[in-house]
Amino acid sequence: MSIVLVGVNHKTAPIEVRELLAFSDEACTDGLRRLVDGEIVREGLIVSTCNRVEILSATTSEQLEFGTERITEFLDTRRHLPQGFLNQHIYSHRDEEAVRHLFRVASSLDSMVVGEPQVLGQVRHAYSLAVEAGTAGRVLNRLVHHTFRVAKRVRTETGIAANAVSISYMAVELGKKIFDSLKGHTILLIGAGEMAELSARHLLNAGASRLLITNRTEESAKRLASEFGGTAAPFEELEKTLADADIVICSTGSPTFVVTEEMVRKSRERRRNRPMCLIDISVPRNIDPNAGNVPNVFVFDIDDLESVISSNIREREREAERAELIVQSEVMQFQQSLRLMDAGPTIGALREKLQDVARTELQRQRKRLGPLTPDQEAAVEQLLMATVNKISHPVLNQMRRFYETSDTETMQELAESFDNED
Amino acid sequence: MKSLLLAVLAAYLIAAIHSILAFINKRRSVQRVAEWCIAAGFILHTTALIADWGIDGHYPLFSLRETLSFLAWALVAAYGLILYRYHTHALGVFIMPLISFLTFAAMLIKSGPQAPAAFSTTWLFPIHTTLLIFAYAAFFIVFMASVMYLLLERELKLKTFGAIFHRLPSLSTVNQLATTSAVCGLTLLTLGIATGMIWSSNRDGRIWHNDPKEIFAVLTWLLYFLLLIYRSSADWRGRNAAWLGVAGFALVLCTFFGTRLLGGYHVFGVHILNQLF
Repeated sequence: MSIVLVGVNHKTAPIEVRELLAFSDEACTDGLRRLVDGEIVREGLIVSTCNRVEILSATTSEQLEFGTERITEFLDTRRHLPQGFLNQHIYSHRDEEAVRHLFRVASSLDSMVVGEPQVLGQVRHAYSLAVEAGTAGRVLNRLVHHTFRVAKRVRTETGIAANAVSISYMAVELGKKIFDSLKGHTILLIGAGEMAELSARHLLNAGASRLLITNRTEESAKRLASEFGGTAAPFEELEKTLADADIVICSTGSPTFVVTEEMVRKSRERRRNRPMCLIDISVPRNIDPNAGNVPNVFVFDIDDLESVISSNIREREREAERAELIVQSEVMQFQQSLRLMDAGPTIGALREKLQDVARTELQRQRKRLGPLTPDQEAAVEQLLMATVNKISHPVLNQMRRFYETSDTETMQELAESFDNED
Repeated sequence: MKSLLLAVLAAYLIAAIHSILAFINKRRSVQRVAEWCIAAGFILHTTALIADWGIDGHYPLFSLRETLSFLAWALVAAYGLILYRYHTHALGVFIMPLISFLTFAAMLIKSGPQAPAAFSTTWLFPIHTTLLIFAYAAFFIVFMASVMYLLLERELKLKTFGAIFHRLPSLSTVNQLATTSAVCGLTLLTLGIATGMIWSSNRDGRIWHNDPKEIFAVLTWLLYFLLLIYRSSADWRGRNAAWLGVAGFALVLCTFFGTRLLGGYHVFGVHILNQLF
């Protein structure tokens, strides 16, 4: 069996091309059923996300060329694209390269943002669609499960996803660095903006207990509050609300400071000196940077966040190098297990054949043995089988070993040497 | 005995090296090696202490050698508890080299004189010293946690976000660690002082000798008492409390080495330099 992977991703094709090729869930199962014919393409799976469309399939080793062509053609004809249009965008990998590519994709090493967590879920979804379509067979099942294992290993053994690389997620990271767990802590959102909302969502997902929202226009505060399950607080009472908040995210269009040093000082007193984290993602700034001079108050503006993010991205890249090593060793392991899986039938068939020879001989000579009790009959057959197995065992073992060291030719020769008698 | 202590030292050194490596490249597998070594070292160390007790016939906490070894053991126990409760691996970077050093020093120093009969017959004296050793260990943890707090707080205020930012536990964790350790330390110190007083009054009818060690111990007690009052009342959370935790440790060191420098009642036997209690 050979594995073939054909596709486009964000590095090889612009969005215009990717959106042409993208599969919806139904299109995915339909397409798979059409593509997998059981002859050339034995098994298939389609990963379709906003950054990539990839078709993974298992074909027989002899028809590898043909299989690759068929899959490419399948992508071409779907949208009636002119012949050769995809040539400049498409890539195809075989066997080891295909396995490595899939491992890298699922481990998020091939993503736009290295270490992002979504892609594994997308691969999982693609697999469930293939299972639904009935096109995931022996090889792909094994490959996909191995892929999940690799992705998990990469995630736990490297720090590839350890540090925040988006502004919205930085709030969680800073909050955790100060409060350890966000449980039991209160978030205050001042103003509304996409980034602030996203930050609030991340903070709530990370376990923050309470969300307060305040805005100059009360309606939008109320709208957001009902959306997130938070509480709207009147903007005029900001100073009072501030004292309740452990983490403040500020993003308003105000040209002046909304939160002044004075307000922070007062709220600190009211908070009995508990620490406070103020994150200002608005430009011009809405939180007086001098508020950072107040003890136990930490103020971060957008530039501070950007600087952490760039250092985190560098950190991730360093970790990605370690992840590549893990992927490399796993690819080798998988190739080995695949070879064994292939070797299984050959070796099994040979054993079967040798046993058949013994049985035929027994049939031929049976008459000369005269009448036997069922027990004796069974004993004779057992004797023959045991002899055949014992004699063939070292040879079969040898074959298995050749397979493990990927010396398929010698194995084949060994297997064929039994055929010569005919 | 020496060879057992050598194995203990080896385990602690390996743990120290792996703690530092784990701190630098943040590998869980490396940290795990460190933790196993700490566990192995602790078991061996406990065995060594018990063996010491059996062979020498007195509680293994009298001479300087014994004191250092016992202190190292107490610190390992404290660190183990902290790892279990707070998962603050970063502490190992500071504490494991110190533990290794203490163990090494304990190996180098010659055995002190036998304890006079007055110390080996009463059970109160070993309790007094054990309580105080654990109090010292707790105060060292307060010190380390306070230093970590100050480092991380500085990093957050200056917004430099360097290696320290990524590697130290959260502010709240170190703050809690410092508070809990201070409570433990103060309780142990109180009990230690109390048992000392009872023992001393049994011995010569006096509970106070105006000895430098006693004075420092009381000062230390006052300082940590203050620290805890401040921590529980609102105003001294954070940086100031951390500074107090650092300063308090200077006083602890004075108490620990007080006798050595200034002499006094707490000097027992002839070998002044070898005696700490």
